[in-house]
This record gives sequence, structure tokens and C-alpha cells, in this order.
Amino acid sequence: MELVLLTFLPLLGALAVLCTPRAAEGLQRGIALATTLAVAVLGVKLFLGYDVPGGDGAATPYSFSLPWFQLPWRDGTPTQVHFSLAMDGISLLMVTLTAVLMPIVILSTWGHVEKRVKEFMVWMLVMQTGMLGTFLAVDLVLFYFFWEVSLIPLYFLVGIWGGEQRLYATVKFFLYTLAGSLLMMVAIIAILFDRGTSDLGELIAQLGQTPLEQQLWYFAAFALAFGIKVPLLPFHTWLPDAHTQAPTSGSVVLAGVLLKMGTYGLLRFCIQMLPDAAVAAAPWMMALGAIGILYGALLAWAQTDLKRLIACSSVSHLGYVVLGLFALTPAGLSGGMLQMVNHGISTGLLFLLVGMLYERRHSRALDAFGGVATVMPLFALFWVFTVLSSAGLPGLNGFVGEYLILLGSFQSSPLWSVIGLTGVIFGAVYLLMATRKMLFGACTNPENQRLTDLNAREIVLMLPLVVLAVWLGVRPNDFMGKVEPDLAEVGRRVAVARQSTAALEPVTPLTEGVAAR
Amino acid sequence: MNAQNLLQMFDANALRALAPLIALALGLVLVLFAGVFPLGRAVRATLVVASLAASAVLHGNLLLGGETPGKVLAGTFESSSTTAMWGLVFVASTLFAWLYSVRYYEEDAPFKNEHDVLMLATAIGMMLMAGARDLIVFFIGLELLSIPLYALAAFRRDRARSVEAGLKYFLLGAFAAGFFLYGSALVYATTGSLSLDTLADPAARAALGQPMALVGVALIAASVFFKVSVFPFHLWVPDVYEGAPTPVTALMATGTKAAGFAFLMSALVLLPASTATTVALIAVITMAAGNFGALAQTDVKRMLAYSGIAHAGTLLLGVAGAIHGDPSNGAPVQASLVYMAAYVATAAGAFGLLALLERDGGPTTLESLKGLAQRRPWVASALTLFMLSLGGIPATGGFLGKYLVFSVAVRSELTGFAIVGVLLSVVALGYYLRVIIAMYMQSPEHDANVSAPRPASAATTLASIVCAALVLATGVLPGWLLELT
Repeated sequence: MELVLLTFLPLLGALAVLCTPRAAEGLQRGIALATTLAVAVLGVKLFLGYDVPGGDGAATPYSFSLPWFQLPWRDGTPTQVHFSLAMDGISLLMVTLTAVLMPIVILSTWGHVEKRVKEFMVWMLVMQTGMLGTFLAVDLVLFYFFWEVSLIPLYFLVGIWGGEQRLYATVKFFLYTLAGSLLMMVAIIAILFDRGTSDLGELIAQLGQTPLEQQLWYFAAFALAFGIKVPLLPFHTWLPDAHTQAPTSGSVVLAGVLLKMGTYGLLRFCIQMLPDAAVAAAPWMMALGAIGILYGALLAWAQTDLKRLIACSSVSHLGYVVLGLFALTPAGLSGGMLQMVNHGISTGLLFLLVGMLYERRHSRALDAFGGVATVMPLFALFWVFTVLSSAGLPGLNGFVGEYLILLGSFQSSPLWSVIGLTGVIFGAVYLLMATRKMLFGACTNPENQRLTDLNAREIVLMLPLVVLAVWLGVRPNDFMGKVEPDLAEVGRRVAVARQSTAALEPVTPLTEGVAAR
Repeated sequence: MNAQNLLQMFDANALRALAPLIALALGLVLVLFAGVFPLGRAVRATLVVASLAASAVLHGNLLLGGETPGKVLAGTFESSSTTAMWGLVFVASTLFAWLYSVRYYEEDAPFKNEHDVLMLATAIGMMLMAGARDLIVFFIGLELLSIPLYALAAFRRDRARSVEAGLKYFLLGAFAAGFFLYGSALVYATTGSLSLDTLADPAARAALGQPMALVGVALIAASVFFKVSVFPFHLWVPDVYEGAPTPVTALMATGTKAAGFAFLMSALVLLPASTATTVALIAVITMAAGNFGALAQTDVKRMLAYSGIAHAGTLLLGVAGAIHGDPSNGAPVQASLVYMAAYVATAAGAFGLLALLERDGGPTTLESLKGLAQRRPWVASALTLFMLSLGGIPATGGFLGKYLVFSVAVRSELTGFAIVGVLLSVVALGYYLRVIIAMYMQSPEHDANVSAPRPASAATTLASIVCAALVLATGVLPGWLLELT
């Protein structure tokens, strides 16, 4: 029941905002902030109250299920689709990240959302419901439902409140993502016919019995949908456009949470649900991840627009996540998981900071700045902190994730690990170069000399993320402890799949391997 | 067959099966008479709504009231739970179109009486088409639907576009009717029967394989494809839909299409399993023609006409799946019913809102929709919902229909076609999103040209709310619709 409340509280807030008069902007902002704060409190409470289940695969502490509707036939018997939400360690981390990030995002809109506040808040809250639902759904159809529903709010957020090229960016984003998800829909249809259930738990237990070739088709469809969302290399071009055109708050949610829906999907469906296919496809996915790291870093290096630079760095950072996850080693999985959270924090902070600068200066061109540190020392402090966290300085969050990923991937593929490692260097290069150009040197441009430093609201809204960045860097196990058992279970399934793939010819049913468990 | 036999066929069972049609026919006659006397609009409106409601109740009774009459009138007409559900879809489609027409006409308003009579006649025609078990009965239904529609399309008789639409529809429709009759004659010549049930016999099925019968079936298919706007018989659609009065367009887009597909689903015996791939190919081409055609449009009504072609293609993919699969399997029928039910609510609502907006001034182009969210927030949000439903986004009825139809295709091993189909529906979002973009994300370039919106009539408001509620209800809690079908 907590999960239902958590998921639909934002929707209730959206309805409340909808009922306010159009002119009452303060009230609308207030309702949105109060709702997201309530969700955050609830999320943190769930996080603290989450007991790690025993290794016996016992039911997760939080779950909710209700028959939803029946889809027609599989051999005469209809498939019962459930409205079922459940939380394990993996979704716990994602949900907490979403819950904590949203009030910060809402608070950040004070500076840049001036027109049509009501609609903005409604879409933000609807989006939160969509994202939370995506992370919590344990029914394939319900997952798809939330997955696609969460597309629409961002479409409006970018399309109405975005920059000059917003229409191009938002349509591109929508169509790219939709193309992937519709193919996933075909895969879901096929799985439902094949197995006669849409329950994720049952599917995780059963799908190993399907022939590898069929699993690979499913894998391809799911991986395409998630790969576009992540975004993986050949499908990444929508991201810089969407990020650059989105309003600051949209960028933060996009980077912080929406992209994680892709990596979460890769972990949950491509790896956990289809381990045999994941083992077979792992080299390819690792390659895409590693190339993404390098390519994203080089792209970022070449950018002159700060927001675009960060967007490209996202491609690079999410490459780490994919590299780590598809290393399919315990270290890689943990690192990938941790890096998802890290990226949400660091990149969220970077986008917030760029947004704050843009609100003052109305420019994001790297050339327009120089010596900002002399007029905005507090801004400089936060910026340098965030850059170091993003670049993986030991003691901050980025380091732990990247280290684990490189360790994990080295165990399964030294080549791609080394290529990924070079990305760390390039990452430091473009971030530090941008920092130097922007913050240091002489402040010659008169427009920059008039800039005012951060105000109390801006500092307060960033502090939680700063605290989290340090906490994750110093004591990552406070967080990873909750997810470790689930990742270990995934790792065990993968190990079984690996053995059976090695033992059997491909394209033969893998029932023996599964039965052996 | 003498008069005695004829009378005996009209037993209680037949009466029960035909009652929904009779209710409409009674209403039609009463409305016709009401026009003779100076009774005023309220009486006529009451009669129209009452006869539609009576028909709906009688259909509901057939659907939920246990045993259905089955085949009556010497096996030429069938009344099953499926036809009852189709009947409800037809009633809804007619009712929505009628509600949107209440305040639509200006200079033609004095002839609204005839308009309503014609609308009721089309509904009877649709029901005959859905229940027909005999090609001649189907033909009568087809004509009962078509002839009033020709008149309705040309109803705004001092507007050239409307008359052009009516004439175009009539000329091509006459050809289609001729095709159907000629095709039926060829089928009869080879098999000696026009009854769909007799044609399902093994002997008749073998006879259907002869070249002459195949030509006959192809002609029949061409005629039905014409009605439901399937490639290559879709070219009339944009012009007719654009020119016809918008409530009539709504009726053509929803009711006619539903009736055509109801017949296709019940006449699968005519099509041998080997044609499944051909039909699927036609379906995909239709989707492509509709979607790419719509991409080029700036007039929203015309865009929705092309979108209707694309939707016909999607449904035809379900028909292909049904041909391929086990004919006794009810899933394809259910899929097409759900798809059409959702489409009726969505398209009727969309066309209806366009009818409302036309009254603000001129044709509804993308240009004229700019800034609509500011001028008419409710209309804009409802239209957004309908666009998302047409695009098949979850939480709307359109998604459920799309899911089920593609399920049928995947189940029938037409996965390749299904994949092409879903990719084409990405194209579709390209133009649905444009409507939303115009309404929400662009502001009008010439503020002076935008007249102040006139308030919507109660009928329009009611119809829009019901349509929107149905779209959401089928999208979020699809259980009830899936159980009904």
C-alpha cells in the first residue's frame, strides 16, 4: 500500500494543482513542492525501513498487487494482468533517487519557470508518477504502461518551456523513444503469448526455458528500447538536443531519472529476465558501452555550449553504467548500479549549476565566461566540487562507481575496460578545461562582472545532493548494502546462464541449466 | 417461398433479434412525421435520442441477457453477443455524430429533420451489415448505409466542397456497389449459394477456390475495402471527409468503418487462409499510405481522414491475423471490436471538436489551432487526449486496441508485418504531435484574425465529455470492455 501511495501521491498533487485558479502561481508552486516533499519523506522512510531480504529469495518487504484486466487467450485461458508494484533493492535505490531529486527540481523552477506555471507543475508531478511507476512495476504490461506514459510530460516540458529549437528537440526525443518502445511492445506481446503470464517474477523464473534464439529476439527488442533511452551510442543523438533545449528542471529530471529508466530496464529485463541472452550479447553491449564512454567524452570535449557539454558527458557516464552492468561480474553490477545513482546526483548538480548561471547571464557559451570565480565564489565552490565528483575524485561518489565498473569489466573483458579507462582521463580533461575557461583567469567581460552569487534558495536546494555525493563517496555500503543481495541473485543467475551456455550448443533449450538450480 | 412461410419466419426469436433495428426504424418514421408538423426541435431531438437509446437498451439486453436469438429469418441474419456489441458501437457512433450536429448547421438548419432521418437510416444499415449472414442482406444494409450518407455528405448544398464530396462519394460508391453485386453473382454462379454459412461447407469452400469465384471474392473484398478505406481504394477519403459536414465525417469515419469491419470479421469464410499474407501486405501498405499522406497535411480534418486510412490498415492487419488463424477463435473479433469501440469514441470526439472549432471561423488548419490551449483550454486538452489515443499511447483506449490487434498479428505469425506496423505508428505520432504542438507550443501569428470563441452547445459538451471519459476508461481500466466483447 505504501508503494501505491508513493506512486500516486504526485498524481493527486497534479490534480490539486489542476483545480487551482490559473493566476494563483504561488499556490501551484506550493502544492507541487509540498507534494514532492511528502513523496521524498515517504521515499526516505521506505529506504530506511527497507530490510534486506534473506538470500532465500523471500518476498520483498513492500509489494502490492491487484488484478487489473485479462488479456485474451493463450490456449483458451486469458492472461491475467496485474496492477502489481513491488520493491527490491534495485528499485529501492532508483525510487529514492527520484523521490529525493524531485523537490530539488521543483525548487529550482523558482528561477526559470515564469509562464504557465500551473501546467508546468502538473506535468512535473505526472512525470514523477510515471517514473516511480516504471521503477516499481513488476508486471510487464504495467511497466510498459508507465514507461510510455512518462514520455508525454517531458514532451510538454521541453516543448513549452524549452529553448529556441524546442519543437525540433521534443519531437525528436518523443519519436526516437517511441520507436524503441513500440518494438518492445511487440516483444512483450510475444512473451505474453509464449508464457501466458505478465508477472515479472514468474517470467524471471520461466524465460530461461525458452530457446536462446527466441530469448535473443526478446533481448534485442528490449535492449533497443532501453538503449535509445540510456542512450547507447548509435541512438544518442536525441539527447544533446533534448538536454540543450529543455528547461533546467527538465534537464535535471531527464539526466537524473529518465535516463536511468533505460539502464534500470537493461538491468531488470535484459539481464535479470533474460540472463542467457545477456551472456550471449554481453560482449556487444560492453563494446557499445566502452565506445560510448570514449565517444561521449570526445564529443563533450568539442562542445562550446556548457549544457551540451554536460549532455555529452552524460552519454559518456552512462556508457560506464552499461559497461559495468554487462561485465556481468559482481563488481561490475554493483558499480553500474552505483554509477546510476552517482550520475543522477552529479549530473543533476551540473545541470542545476548551469541553469543558475544561465538565469543570470542568459548565455551558456563557454567563450562568454572567464573569471567567474572572482565574482561568484560560492558558485565556483559548488561547481568545482561537482566536477570533481563527476570526474571520479576519490572520496566522492564518482570514484567508487567508476572503480568498481573498471574492476568488474576488466575481469570479463580487459580490452573494453582499458578503453573505458581512457574515458576517465578524457572525462577529467573536458570537465577541468571547461572549469578553467569558465571560472578562472581574469574576469574581463563587463557582463560577467555584474553577476551575483548564489542565493540562499539555490544553496539549500543543492545541499542535499552535495551531502549525498560525499556520503556515497565515503560510505557507499550504506546504500549498496541494500541492493547487494539482489545484485548477487542476478549475478548467480548470470553465472548459471554462463555455465549452461558454455556447456551446451547455442540455440538449444537451456532447460537443463535452469533445472539444475 | 409464399407469404405464409414468410410470416412464419417472423417468430418471437426473429423479433427479438430485429428489435434494435425496428426501434430505430420506428424512430426514423416518427422523426419524419414530426417534420410535417410544427413541433419544434425539442420533440425531434427527444425522438432521435429515444430511438437510439431504445436500440442501445435492446442491444444491451441481447449482450447481457443470456441466450441470444442466433440465426433468424431462414439463416440470413444473425443476432449474437458479438453483433449486439457491434450494435452498441454503431449506436454510439450515430449518437456522437448526431450530438455534434445539433448546432452545427447554419443556413441548412431548416432541413435538420431530414438530416436526422438519414442518420438514423445509416445506423440501421450498419446493423444489417454486421448481422448479415447472406450477401444480399449485407448488400441491403450496405445501401441503407450508403445512400443516406451520399445525401448527408452533400448536405450543405450551397457549399461547393460539400456537394463535391457528396457527388464524389456517390459516384465511387455506386461503382463499389456494382462491384459487390457482380462479385456476389460470380460467387453464386460457382457455388450456388449466397449464404455465408453454406459457403463455409467444405464443398462450397472447394468451389470457392475456382478462378471465377476468386474473382467474385476479390470484387466483394474491393467493395468492402472501398467502404472502410483500404489501399488502393482509399483515394476518395481525404476529399470526401474534408468536404462533408464534419459531424457526417465523424459518422463516416467511425460507423461506416466499424460496419465494414464487422462484416469482414463475419465473412472470413470467403477468404482462404492462403490470402492472409496478401491481406497483411495490403494492411501495411494502407498504414503507410495513410500515415505518410497525413504527414503532408496542414488541414486537420484532412489529416484525420488520412489517419482514418491508417487505422483501417491497422485493423486490416487484425483481419489478416484472423484469416491466418483458427476461424473459431474469438480473439480477432474481440480485438477488432475493442479497437473500433475505442476508435469510435476517439475519432468521433476529435471530429466533433473540429466541428466546434470550425464555427469559430473557417477550416481547422494547424495554423488556426495555434494558441488554442490559451483560448479554449478544455477543448485543447480533450483534443490532446484524442490525438494521443489515435496515436495509441497507453492510458488511452487507442493503446488497448492497438495492443490487441498487434497481438492477433503476432499470434498469427505475422510478426514481421506487426513490426512494420508499429514502426509506421511512430510516423503517425509525427503528425498527431503536430496538432498538440500547434495548440500548446505555438502562439498565433496574427492575433487579430483569431475571433473570440463561441461557447460550445450543451450537446457538444456532453458528447465530448462522454468521448473523453470512454477513451480514458478503456485506457486505464480496460477490464469492462474486454469482458463485454
